[in-house]
Amino acid sequence: MEATEDRESDPVEFDPSEIEYVSYGGEHHLPLIMRLVDVELSEPYSIFTYRYFVYLWPHLSFLAFHRGNCVGTVVCKMGEHRNTFRGYIAMLVVIKPYRGKGIATELVTRSTRVMMESGCEEVTLEAEVTNKGALALYGRLGFIRAKRLFRYYLNGVDAFRLKLLFPRSEMSRSLLAAIDREASHLYDHCQPPVGSPDVQSI
Amino acid sequence: MADRGRDVEVPSTIASGEQTVWVDVSSLLRAACDDLQDGELVHGENFSLFASMSALEIMDPKMDSGIENCAYHSVEEAIENGVAPVPFSFDRTVDVQCTIDVMDHLLACEATWHKGNSLAQTVFSCIYLLRLERTSSHALLNSYCRIIRATCSAVISIVSDARTHEEEDIFTMAYGLPLKGEGDEKCLSMLNAVEETISRQLRACKAQSSKKRVSEEITCGTADTEPLQTNPNLEEGYCKALLSRIRFRKHFYHVLMCMRKPHGRGLELARKHIASCQSELACILKSSEFLASNVRGGSQNDIEEKTTASGCRPIGFDASLNSKLSAPTPPRAIKIVSWNKAIEYFEKLLNDLDIICSFSMDPLLENILRSVVQFQKRKPDLVARAHLQVLLVQDGKLYGRDLIFDVICKAAALHEITKNHETQKNEFLLPLGQLLINLFKVLCTNLAWQRRKLGKILQDWAITSVQLTIALNRELEENSNVYVDENVCMKLSKHLLIWAEEQTYWIAYRFLTLGFDLELYSPSEYCMVYWFIYCILVKLSEKAQLKMVASTDAVKRKGKKKKDISKDVLNDQKLSPAVLLLQCYICLSEGLTMMLAALRNEHNAFQTPIAFNTEEEVHTQKFRAHLAHIPNDHVSYLLYKQSTVHVRFSTLVKYNYFRDAQRIVKELRSSFSSDPDRLDELRQIEQIAEHNRVALNVICQAGASDTSLKVSFEFTQSPCFAIAVVKRS
Repeated sequence: MEATEDRESDPVEFDPSEIEYVSYGGEHHLPLIMRLVDVELSEPYSIFTYRYFVYLWPHLSFLAFHRGNCVGTVVCKMGEHRNTFRGYIAMLVVIKPYRGKGIATELVTRSTRVMMESGCEEVTLEAEVTNKGALALYGRLGFIRAKRLFRYYLNGVDAFRLKLLFPRSEMSRSLLAAIDREASHLYDHCQPPVGSPDVQSI
Repeated sequence: MADRGRDVEVPSTIASGEQTVWVDVSSLLRAACDDLQDGELVHGENFSLFASMSALEIMDPKMDSGIENCAYHSVEEAIENGVAPVPFSFDRTVDVQCTIDVMDHLLACEATWHKGNSLAQTVFSCIYLLRLERTSSHALLNSYCRIIRATCSAVISIVSDARTHEEEDIFTMAYGLPLKGEGDEKCLSMLNAVEETISRQLRACKAQSSKKRVSEEITCGTADTEPLQTNPNLEEGYCKALLSRIRFRKHFYHVLMCMRKPHGRGLELARKHIASCQSELACILKSSEFLASNVRGGSQNDIEEKTTASGCRPIGFDASLNSKLSAPTPPRAIKIVSWNKAIEYFEKLLNDLDIICSFSMDPLLENILRSVVQFQKRKPDLVARAHLQVLLVQDGKLYGRDLIFDVICKAAALHEITKNHETQKNEFLLPLGQLLINLFKVLCTNLAWQRRKLGKILQDWAITSVQLTIALNRELEENSNVYVDENVCMKLSKHLLIWAEEQTYWIAYRFLTLGFDLELYSPSEYCMVYWFIYCILVKLSEKAQLKMVASTDAVKRKGKKKKDISKDVLNDQKLSPAVLLLQCYICLSEGLTMMLAALRNEHNAFQTPIAFNTEEEVHTQKFRAHLAHIPNDHVSYLLYKQSTVHVRFSTLVKYNYFRDAQRIVKELRSSFSSDPDRLDELRQIEQIAEHNRVALNVICQAGASDTSLKVSFEFTQSPCFAIAVVKRS
């Protein structure tokens, strides 16, 4: 569902701690989300589409504010899909001057965490194949490119369907831990840090 | 979103059936309308939020295809306002210029349509096409538009028949468009007549210019030929420009008609028409210099944008007039490709069609699969792929000629065992035939769709293989005192099983490699992907070798006494060239797996990001859904982990898989000396192996402690097998 269009503007200098993240709080947030998405994403959505998401899953939508201005948002849903309980990221936007500072990563991470805690087995979304920023962001969070969808968007661009599978098999995990232990005397096993939102961009 | 109108008087009801009543809701609606604000909705209980999401907002230009964003309400209104005059001008030179512009823009529209846009917003943005009857007084325009219409119909018909366009269904949507009309069957003769007239005009003007008028007049019969237009200096140029355009259309239409003939009977003639099309395209391209130097004003300057050879904006086009036809879907952004790009498109299409026409119509399955995969490497567009598919599968037969039953018998070497009627009794042949036809069709679809479909049919093949195994085991139990090789039925089952498994692994291999073409793998996943490819290839080559042994065994058995048999089987262990070629790819994929594993283990490179999950989930996601069913007990994540976790550069350098690939390539050269395609493939393998062998040596020499080495992977030699690039930072 995601598709971004770049707008030229100068980046804003700010400290990441100045960004305030809030969960969807009611109808007063709706125009903020709509304005951001309408301007930044290529696909057209009606007000009823927005309401479909934020009324049914308000806890999965987040807004990012900087000094009172809404600079980013994520809109999601979750539900049964072919015998799996699946989360879906419908829209993700950070306005251009605020990109590259980890805001999008933080927004996605927050909703993904709620989905995980709510019992989702996986999270999925679509992104334009040309949207390198978004693809890199989701790649860093462990999303894989499951499918390519030919001319998916109205503008004729292909999409990738991205998926994130949450862990669940405890048994294989313990077996793998054993392999890792066995291997650890051979080399220093290095795990990348969890998240690393300081280097994200969209 | 709440129901409004609580204070409105409850309307009276009319009983209309057992459980339903009609209610007059006018007053409720009126009250609701007065009360409704922007973004509010009246809805009943059965109208869910989900349903409301599918609503389109009227008058939103991003969503409402029916919005009137055009100056005219209808085609008629546009015509009344002189948007599409017939003739274009009473100045005959201008009229010719405008006609050529329309022809050129139509070519650009046609290419845009073929590239996956709607017919209504491309070719049928031409008002002359929408109201063809208006052009009857203009023979040139009329005949040209008519052949365009007939060509569009022919193309839609082949694409619809092929059904390779599941994801490109917008292509065949033509409702509301006048695609067929009276007299279209005469389109060629009408075009021929116009061509004849212009040829005569060209001859006349040439005669005049060479000042041999008097003598030529008699021989050419050009005495009373009225010139095409009024400027004698431009006559030859315009005649030639028109002739090349008309002839291109004529030959292109012939190409389509010839290629549709059953059993590939028209392919030879189609190739001749393709050659003519190509030479006419060259003439069209050449005419652009002349046309651009004699413009009538209002030109499109940017060569990247212009849709006509002259650079002039064409008269009589308006894409917004029938944009309503695409409702209720939101309008799609359409940019008509430039005239240069359109010429390029048709050049490519013709080359692709030419390759299809020169298909050997080989009934050997291995060669068909190989040819189709080779053809897809050219990235053919929908129209070419549709033609290939219609050629491959007609009336449920290969090339509309060979029974799929025979194709399988040949591929699985069944005829060597027994006669037809024995074979036909096998219950698995029918479903396997269906699976094979389906496979042919899937291989002709666009790569994105193809991979998804392959993932699905892979399960069907795997299930059939399992069923074949069960059947064979049952037969074995029932005939425990008989050797498989002595029972015809059991032998048939065995051959079919080996063949079905081989196809299953082939599909799995294609599925995995297509992931590279579609950019579905990230560098951190390469290691597990190559490992999986390696596992599948090992199985594939095993089955291919088994099949070969089984079939040569069957042939030999016919003419030999029983006691010689066991000796022959042992002597037949030499690998066939096809299997050796697979061995090359096995070496490449194993080599890449190990190099990537060592880089991960010793350089901490190409690690899987760990935020919400681990590498195991990534592995599961990548392979579980589609590949879980294939009979292979070697592809679990645990085994992958065990095979790669201990890999070190110190061991890799001692056993270099890339050197093995190079050695096999050398052996294979003589086997493929008469096949240039295979030789190319060998050269490619050699290059990949050599690059990676050198890269591996460099990394090994530098040692694990050298962190300044940066290794990346590129796909410069092949879309699937990467080359390691080592740089010092």
